[in-house]
Amino acid sequence: MNRNELQEVVTPAQSILVSTRPGEQSAGAPGSSGLSIDIVVNRQRRQLDVDPRASLLDLVRDHLHLMGTKKGCDHGQCGACTVHLDGRRVVSCLMLALQADGREVTTIEGLAGPNGSLHVMQQAFIDHDALQCGYCTPGQIMSAVACVREGHANSVAGIREYMSGNLCRCGAYVGIVAAIQDAAPRMQGAEP
Amino acid sequence: MTGPGPFPDVARVDARDKVRGMTPYGADNHPPNLAHAMLVTAQIGKGRLVKVDTDAARAVAGVQLVLTHQDTEGLKADGYLFANGRSFQSVQPMIGTAIAYRGQPIALVVADSLEAAIEGAEQVSAEYVTAPFSVTLDSEGTEILAQADLPLPKPAFADKNVGDADAALAAAPVTVDAVYDSAPQHQNPIELIATVASWDGDELTVYESTQHVEGIRQGLAFELGISPDKVRVISPFCGGSFGQKNAMHAQTVLVALAARTLGRPVKLVVPRSQLFHNTSFRPPTRHRVRLGADRAGKIVAAVHEIDQQTSRHDLFPSMATDTSARLHGIPNFRSRERLRRTDVQTPGFMRAPWEHAAAFAFESAIDELAYALDRDPVELRLANELPYDVVTGKPFSSRHLSECLRRGAELFGWARRRMAPRSMRETDGTLVGWGVATGAYPSVISPSIAQLRVTDDGGIVLNVGVQEMGQGARNAVAAAVADVLKVRADQVTTLLGDTKGPPPHLTAGSWGTATAVPAARQAAIDMREALRKLQPEASNGATPAGILRHAKRPFLEVEARHQAPGAPDAVFDRMKQGLLAYVGPEFPEFVSFSFIAHFVEVHVEPATCRVRVPRVVTVADCGRVVSPRTAASQLRGGVVWGIGGALREASEVDPRYGGFLNADLAEYLVPVNADIGDIQVDFVDKPDPMLNNAGVKGLGEVANVGPAAAVANAVYHATGRRVRHLPIRIEDLL
Repeated sequence: MNRNELQEVVTPAQSILVSTRPGEQSAGAPGSSGLSIDIVVNRQRRQLDVDPRASLLDLVRDHLHLMGTKKGCDHGQCGACTVHLDGRRVVSCLMLALQADGREVTTIEGLAGPNGSLHVMQQAFIDHDALQCGYCTPGQIMSAVACVREGHANSVAGIREYMSGNLCRCGAYVGIVAAIQDAAPRMQGAEP
Repeated sequence: MTGPGPFPDVARVDARDKVRGMTPYGADNHPPNLAHAMLVTAQIGKGRLVKVDTDAARAVAGVQLVLTHQDTEGLKADGYLFANGRSFQSVQPMIGTAIAYRGQPIALVVADSLEAAIEGAEQVSAEYVTAPFSVTLDSEGTEILAQADLPLPKPAFADKNVGDADAALAAAPVTVDAVYDSAPQHQNPIELIATVASWDGDELTVYESTQHVEGIRQGLAFELGISPDKVRVISPFCGGSFGQKNAMHAQTVLVALAARTLGRPVKLVVPRSQLFHNTSFRPPTRHRVRLGADRAGKIVAAVHEIDQQTSRHDLFPSMATDTSARLHGIPNFRSRERLRRTDVQTPGFMRAPWEHAAAFAFESAIDELAYALDRDPVELRLANELPYDVVTGKPFSSRHLSECLRRGAELFGWARRRMAPRSMRETDGTLVGWGVATGAYPSVISPSIAQLRVTDDGGIVLNVGVQEMGQGARNAVAAAVADVLKVRADQVTTLLGDTKGPPPHLTAGSWGTATAVPAARQAAIDMREALRKLQPEASNGATPAGILRHAKRPFLEVEARHQAPGAPDAVFDRMKQGLLAYVGPEFPEFVSFSFIAHFVEVHVEPATCRVRVPRVVTVADCGRVVSPRTAASQLRGGVVWGIGGALREASEVDPRYGGFLNADLAEYLVPVNADIGDIQVDFVDKPDPMLNNAGVKGLGEVANVGPAAAVANAVYHATGRRVRHLPIRIEDLL
């Protein structure tokens, strides 16, 4: 979704403008030239001063304190930091926070319904025990939702291929594939 | 004592938080006014620091502190975990100027933001005096030590010598004599090592994902010279560990020191590339295996000789033949284990630390023997089972390896296998190979204290000494309590991984379940009795909360302890000091191991020789299965590790430079989703009648004992190529 469409999606009640409060640490070192960005994170619009060196991952974790998005490599190799950027999956460690200016970011915290009900993919991960330690799980689920939306979840081979950017060291791959197979048909119509 | 069960299949109790990203791992803690740190590491293979130049780093905007060896006066090294310490190695970096290995930390930069800390760290430069070093098993300057001659406890670290293996081997008509090598590997849990340290006056709180909060608490207090009462370590969850987080790492005390110096909390998340040098790793090994059999297929002798890497400064012992001696009933068995000292950080524990490579070697040799005898490899193993342990003469507490083999063979369809290599193909020409291997892993038990509290509002809270790192510890202990109190497992709140609770022992070595479940079960039995005393006439359906309300008691608390059979009470004192206090696998009346059988199908594309693993069947004997859902996942995960170990994983070393070259997840290849096919797992699920009150043995480690051998044996069956090193790569098959 692009920025114009955002206006239609974000309801007035959800469109709360949050700016960095006076005295709150900006997303960068004092003395560094913080740059202002305007982004929507989990349906909440925010204006933030960011360090031009900061990754989107570090912005989400260290400054927005959304700790569900994980750092596993910081090099785009493991997928634990996967978020949706305008509806597409990206590894947030490989993107500068500045590049998210004017765009919409969804993290694992924004996936459940407004009333806290789980996304069908989250429930499928529970049902198929598609996780062990849980550390890669937010990234797996964000990737899994995107994998279905991309149309890559129509076969086991497709799921395996298009989920191979998300490493699971506990080795929960069999459960992950089963969860996506289960959730994919149920995502049709269940998503906004 | 046959114990409880069978247990119901219930969902992972912490899964709902995990799928929402709500589970707190160490680095997810963000106290107010937090500063961020970054390490600087040595860029030489060995030597001495002459000068660390920190001026440029201090000039970076936002940098608040740069620590070097000149700022650590009064800091003491805690010591190596096999030498009554709590650290993964005896070297504590940044005390003194000696550089023992490439990648050793030399400075810690702390700044207001992570970005400034990273930039500051890049500005630190150092001058060194270099010294010659050796980093591989065969490098010049490597010191070879016979383990039996070292000051390690006996008989645990003595060579085994049962019967007369050499004479029996010399007389045997059919023999195998082969050498097998395994590459170094790194655990690489996806969670990075991280420390968040904050001081409140003279009290230190540390958030750090670990397998051993008490070890870090005690070790930190010793290093800082403060009372352990002033230190609290919190780790309710681990983002994977696999042995990596089983001891204290170098950065923890440095972050605590920086936080104290700055008077504000400090967080360090260690980059993946640095972790290849600042945590342990699985050392490379070389195995010579000799087997002798009579023509009827009775294995009469085995000699297993091992060389394993250790560091210059510590003795990481080999315990591999404890297991290889128990894989089959071989009446004459001799082992010899040697260590090779090299200039690396001390290697250590990684899922099935010794047994992964030892089983690859030994079970490959058994497969070679099967072909030398022209006997089916399953049938050969079944024909060499013995009901007792030849090393000690004692019975096994339970041994259902034959059932693992039989059930696995049936599930896999093994009867349709043709014996000859290259005899099975797909219609498109793909070479098909079917391989089998067995595994075993020692049953070990550590001391454990369980506190159970029930309240009149329905709360059931268990605090027990075990760490959750994804293996399902919370499910297992909750299931144990739920079974006794007749409640659902998800009604039991499990408090784990906080030194404010009863002191926990290190959770490792597959002993977590056999350690914590019996303590939790005993606490629940004690609670049930206490509730009966409160209301003897209570009906069977009465809930703990109902009984409390009836008795007008707001809560009831019990504490239970559990230790290994024959373990002295002194194990609790050692546990409270954060020291190793496990006992096993030899107990006064018996010897105890878990057992497993793996069946693997490989497909080898004939032109490119690319190896795929479309399916695996694995059957485990881990005693009673307390948490069927999480146990099945853990077992599948172990098989994934075996596939990775067989076909992918190796930490690459260049002897000219030291350190590890492929220090990230793009170059160190772990299995990805597309590498894994169907994995069918099953359990014997018979309670062990001797080991503990719940009938449980270990599972997490035995899962990765044997699968790599089964892959290698399948590759031989498919191609006729016997590859005697790990990992097996395309170039080995072309």
